[in-house]
Amino acid sequence: MIKSMIQKMYLGLILLLLYAPIVTLIVLSFNSSKTRSKWGGFSLKWYASLFENADIMNALYTTLIIALLSALISTLIGTAAAIGMQALNNKFRTTMMAITNIPMLNADIVTGISLMLLFIACRAFYPSFSFGFATVLLAHITFNIPYVILSVIPKLKQTNKYTYEAALDLGASPIYAFFKVVFPDIFPGVCSGFLLAFTMSLDDFVITHFTTGAGVHTLSTKIYSEVRKGIKPEMYALSTLLFVTVLFLLIVVNTAPEQNTSNKKLVRKAPSKFSRIANIAFRRVVPALLVLVIVGGGFFYGAQNRASAGEQVVVYNWGEYIDPKVLDMFEEETGINVVYEEFETNESMYPKVQAGAVSYDLVCPSDYMIQRMLENNLLAEINFDNIPNLKYIGQQYLEQSKAFDPENKYSVPYCWGTVGILYNKTMVDEPIDSWSVLWDEKYEDQILMQNSVRDAFGIALKYLGYSLNSTDLDELQAAKELLMEQKPLVQAYVVDQVRDKMISNEAALGVIYSGEAIYTQSENPDLEYVIPKEGSNVWIDSWVIPKNAKNKENAEAFINFLCRPEIAKMNFDYITYSTPNTAARDLIEDDAIRDSTIAFPNDSELSRCETYQYLGTKFDEIYTELWREIKSK
Amino acid sequence: MKNSKKLLTGPYLFWAIAFIIIPIIMIFFYGLTDADNNFTLMNLAEITTPENLKALGLSLLLSFISTVICLILAYPLAVILSNKNVNQSSFIVLIFILPMWMNFLLRTLAWQTLLEKNGVINAVLSFLHLPELNIINTPYAIVLGMVYNFLPFMVLPIYNVLIKIDKDVINAARDLGANAAQVFTKVILPLSVPGIISGITMVFVPALTTFVISDILGGSKILLIGNVIEQEFTQSYNWHVGSGLSLVLMIFIIFSMALVSKYDKDGEGTAF
Repeated sequence: MIKSMIQKMYLGLILLLLYAPIVTLIVLSFNSSKTRSKWGGFSLKWYASLFENADIMNALYTTLIIALLSALISTLIGTAAAIGMQALNNKFRTTMMAITNIPMLNADIVTGISLMLLFIACRAFYPSFSFGFATVLLAHITFNIPYVILSVIPKLKQTNKYTYEAALDLGASPIYAFFKVVFPDIFPGVCSGFLLAFTMSLDDFVITHFTTGAGVHTLSTKIYSEVRKGIKPEMYALSTLLFVTVLFLLIVVNTAPEQNTSNKKLVRKAPSKFSRIANIAFRRVVPALLVLVIVGGGFFYGAQNRASAGEQVVVYNWGEYIDPKVLDMFEEETGINVVYEEFETNESMYPKVQAGAVSYDLVCPSDYMIQRMLENNLLAEINFDNIPNLKYIGQQYLEQSKAFDPENKYSVPYCWGTVGILYNKTMVDEPIDSWSVLWDEKYEDQILMQNSVRDAFGIALKYLGYSLNSTDLDELQAAKELLMEQKPLVQAYVVDQVRDKMISNEAALGVIYSGEAIYTQSENPDLEYVIPKEGSNVWIDSWVIPKNAKNKENAEAFINFLCRPEIAKMNFDYITYSTPNTAARDLIEDDAIRDSTIAFPNDSELSRCETYQYLGTKFDEIYTELWREIKSK
Repeated sequence: MKNSKKLLTGPYLFWAIAFIIIPIIMIFFYGLTDADNNFTLMNLAEITTPENLKALGLSLLLSFISTVICLILAYPLAVILSNKNVNQSSFIVLIFILPMWMNFLLRTLAWQTLLEKNGVINAVLSFLHLPELNIINTPYAIVLGMVYNFLPFMVLPIYNVLIKIDKDVINAARDLGANAAQVFTKVILPLSVPGIISGITMVFVPALTTFVISDILGGSKILLIGNVIEQEFTQSYNWHVGSGLSLVLMIFIIFSMALVSKYDKDGEGTAF
């Protein structure tokens, strides 16, 4: 009695561990506040907006179709292989099993990378081969086959080979005998293999991450690209719906008597009326639904692809760095379809553009990265005849751009800003005007640092009174020492999560881009932004067109559209990053924002700030190396 | 007849060569050459830099701890589950697969919401006037994330070997005078070794190579070997070093494959 109590409690505890995060996600899907860190009351609005969010629905269809197709194909190949392997001699069978184990035991990251290397090599032979739906599907089939084989083989071993031979003796053809005698026995194995393959495909992130291309997102990669900025609440709603659907199906399936697996049981009970209905539901309705999803999704996807087969422009931009309505308006006005991709850091964007696995038409890197791309001959000259709206961009920003684009031939400024400290007035009681506060032991575990090499080093170098483009090894060493000293005080190294964490009072101080400061202040009025007196970084993100762009003119049309004052203003309202479009700034109704020193700092503040420069491969490596030393401390 | 059956392995053989063997060869190629395609062992030697060694050491330590915790949690669980009514068994097993339908990244992110300083768990603790739990952005949070994500891969193989144990064997042991402890140590435990070994490798390898869990729950303060490799490929763009380090990781994978084939000759301990 006590024993069974303990057992139940233990089971309960483990289930609590397994399902606590899931309950959390379900609760978050009803949170009317946009950030996950604040409870804004109960709301169903995310469920409504989910179905209007074409991005997420598209990712859902891609995910389901890839999961279904890869599960189907791998079930076919895997089941055939399992049957064939029974007929092989021992030596071959062991070898085949060893090969089968490779994707199972190999690290996801190694499997993903090896497939990526293979697909890149394919491009050497077929230059038109590009990353996307097909590569993800191939990859998923590859890691799914072993699950099927390993589910089918145990069932095959249990089958009695004499019944098969008896069937042959009685005149059945091998195929007839197989389907009448062997197949019913291994069917549960095939089913569980299929289900497993489907689940694995659905849940995979790492391999998809390495094998997908522009415009093709599964839910996993979509979520990963949102992690830094904060997950869109619609995603929670979708996951909740998926989860509840599966739970419901499971309950239906399990209340039905399991005819498939009941061959072990001695007495077969006569099925009750209810279970017969449930059984029909499982055997007829569920497969019919699945087919419906495949076909419907296929049509939908095909329609999508046909749309993208026309005029298009492939844009590669920072995460949440444009008002989605702007994209819709552009598509409506020009009929050019926008394939939109996001990146997190300059450093992660660069290799993707350089590798050319996807040919982007328009990219939005920062100053020093543009210089690097120029030096490596990756950029195409922009034809400014197609961009008459350039006249709305303030002259001073074009002047500033000359630091990385000396003749203003390759780039059009999009957003700019500074790097500074965001602090919570209720948690910090002294006036903040210096980087030194980031080294104050009082704030141990209250500091959020930027997780990017140049920003972290820029801060340390500025604090020490050096240039943030330093190439002096002693200065860099000193900066490294300083950052190492700081590490125990740091709560986390973050990129964009600083926003959510500051809003929810997780930390007292955070290093942040000025553009995020306005948004965070509107969510939490206790926050204040300051550019420290030692000076900081002033940066410009500009549109550039890579050399291998396929739709250069569309890209120019897109830039021109974005430079239109009303559009630039709309965009500013949404992303709150300072716009270099002076005409757009004049359109801002709210004085407080138009004259905000956060969005548009005065010249004396700016004079203390420096722009990053590209320091060359050698110093790139030195910076990266020093940063890694800090991180692994 | 046998020959035509053998032909059924054809498609898979083709697939395996194209998408398993050749990619592995590509990794070897990149790992053993430099930027000018000359043979070199330098990429493998990268593992000996203090930072990479530290990342590897930490990865080994954390994944070892996670594996041990998983084993300790999973074994009793598998025993309890295997004693349940057979009719419910598939349902119970599915309960462990069910969480996988909620995206892996979202599940891990949810732990962030739970563990944060102002998170759910601390709210509950402070309501109960208990001390706060501050493990977010520490190795403890990473271990928790690993245990959480990989526990089903330990439970299922052990469960699968346990339900296959013939009840008559256990009854025979009892009849011959063995007490409960003896039945367990002399009969059940030895018979479940294939499942345990398979579970260990299925937890240890993904834990060793993860880069997502350490990223999300470690606050990017903690660098594991998976993070190093991911950065080599996606940020430093140094495929040669990245492949070299992957080759080093493969040593551990080969080791676990050998372990599995030694203890689990019949493939009994498969997870599913």
